[in-house]
Amino acid sequence: MSGADQKAPGGKTKFTYYPGCSSQGSGKHLDESLRAIAPKIGIELEELDDWNCCGASVGHIGGGVLPNTALTGRNLANAQKQGPQDVVTGCAACYLNTHAGNEKIKSDVKMRRRVNEALSAADLSYDEDLQVRHMCEVIVNDVGVEKIREQVTNPLTGLKVAGYVGCQTVRPFASTDGGGQYDTYEDPKFLDDFAEACGAEAVPFDPKTSCCGGSVSVMSPDRTLHLIKEILQAAKDAEADVISTPCPLCQTNVEMYQDAINKKFGTDFNIPVVFYSQLMAVAFGMDPHKDASLQRNTIRSKKMEDMGKK
Amino acid sequence: MSAPAPAAAERTYDLNFARWVYRNVNGGDKLSMCMQCGVCSGSCPIGTQMDYGPRKLFMMIRAGMKEEVLSSNTMWNCTSCYRCVVRCPRGVPVTYILQDLASKAVEFGYAKKEDNTRFSKAFWWSAKTFGRTDERLVTAKYYFSFGLVAGIRKGLENLKIAFGMIRTGRMHLGAPHGIKDKKGLQAILKKAAEIEAREGAES
Repeated sequence: MSGADQKAPGGKTKFTYYPGCSSQGSGKHLDESLRAIAPKIGIELEELDDWNCCGASVGHIGGGVLPNTALTGRNLANAQKQGPQDVVTGCAACYLNTHAGNEKIKSDVKMRRRVNEALSAADLSYDEDLQVRHMCEVIVNDVGVEKIREQVTNPLTGLKVAGYVGCQTVRPFASTDGGGQYDTYEDPKFLDDFAEACGAEAVPFDPKTSCCGGSVSVMSPDRTLHLIKEILQAAKDAEADVISTPCPLCQTNVEMYQDAINKKFGTDFNIPVVFYSQLMAVAFGMDPHKDASLQRNTIRSKKMEDMGKK
Repeated sequence: MSAPAPAAAERTYDLNFARWVYRNVNGGDKLSMCMQCGVCSGSCPIGTQMDYGPRKLFMMIRAGMKEEVLSSNTMWNCTSCYRCVVRCPRGVPVTYILQDLASKAVEFGYAKKEDNTRFSKAFWWSAKTFGRTDERLVTAKYYFSFGLVAGIRKGLENLKIAFGMIRTGRMHLGAPHGIKDKKGLQAILKKAAEIEAREGAES
């Protein structure tokens, strides 16, 4: 997969890490738990210098197609200065935008020229052939699920996990050559594999790639609460203890709207929504607060916290 | 690039509209591949809340119904889930087309108040000003774009969520997080906008 020999001293593979804006806000626990588990699975994360916003789902509307792509151009220009190693991010939207922008810049000479002309305004340029990857793809293809299993000292025995992949982690790139061929976009298995490698039980969960409403849920939850309700209902029907997800926006949407959904639909959901990396941190026997960041979930999983105390 | 003019009073058919979309909308060049199978509309999580699903919207583009297309709420309900993109048997990048139609609707004055233009504006303001998305300020700016009273009401409705985020350290109370080289980023974005104005959006 990787375009360059990325082995750092100590046998770890080095990546330029793009945390994304949510890492400083609603998705802090994804960033913290990823940084915690990375060395355990042989990954060294070097933060992308002065990284900026990727544009997410609405940047093109406020700014236009080229300015939106220039956001990605600036990040890649800075990544290029840090070396030829692959760029990795844990955020679904950052991956989608940065990967798509990178492929467009690399394959379209006119776009490359236009982006570089814009970048020249800050004395930057991007002319290399970097790869932008999702952390889940790196874990599937480079690390391997076996490596996760090897690191487990505190198996999450008896924890029922509903693997909620969401959209942009797998769509549209998960089954493309450019996106790393790490799973399918209709029925991905990797999230269940992660949970089971941690010793948990992955319950059958049909809406694994259903949409939580994304940024429309942030703007106008009245339009999308029914989507989140279906996700919660399926998890409840499967008697899941927690929902696990790789996406910071899915995590926040599915967690924070449970009260509003209960009020609107007369339900009584109170299901913790955690990141796969939080599961791994607990299963690796790491600190449940400092490493797994379990205290950052507004709906806390008592079961996971008890397991973390062991 | 010739921009479509804002609405005349009567329903009109602009027979050049399809060609204009093919040439000027990001991904529009692939629109001629659409065979009207409806997989996109059938796959859409909130298609039922759109004025027209993507399939119908694409037929309307072909029919030259410029006014109805650019003033529809279809693009504004797109959640960018990309289900339609991966399922389209003809390789039409549906999401990308809807996204850029939204930009065009703003650019040419068709986007309506109830559309989510305010959120996009608040979002871009944060990206441009700080180089990053400050979730607090984007949300606040979006809420108060509806007016002071409406902003306070929306804020109060979501108070419990906000407190939950503060309690768990997922919403900080200090200055906005920003990049170091804000000036450089702003120069890049300004230049990019100039290039787009000069050459058009489609590369």
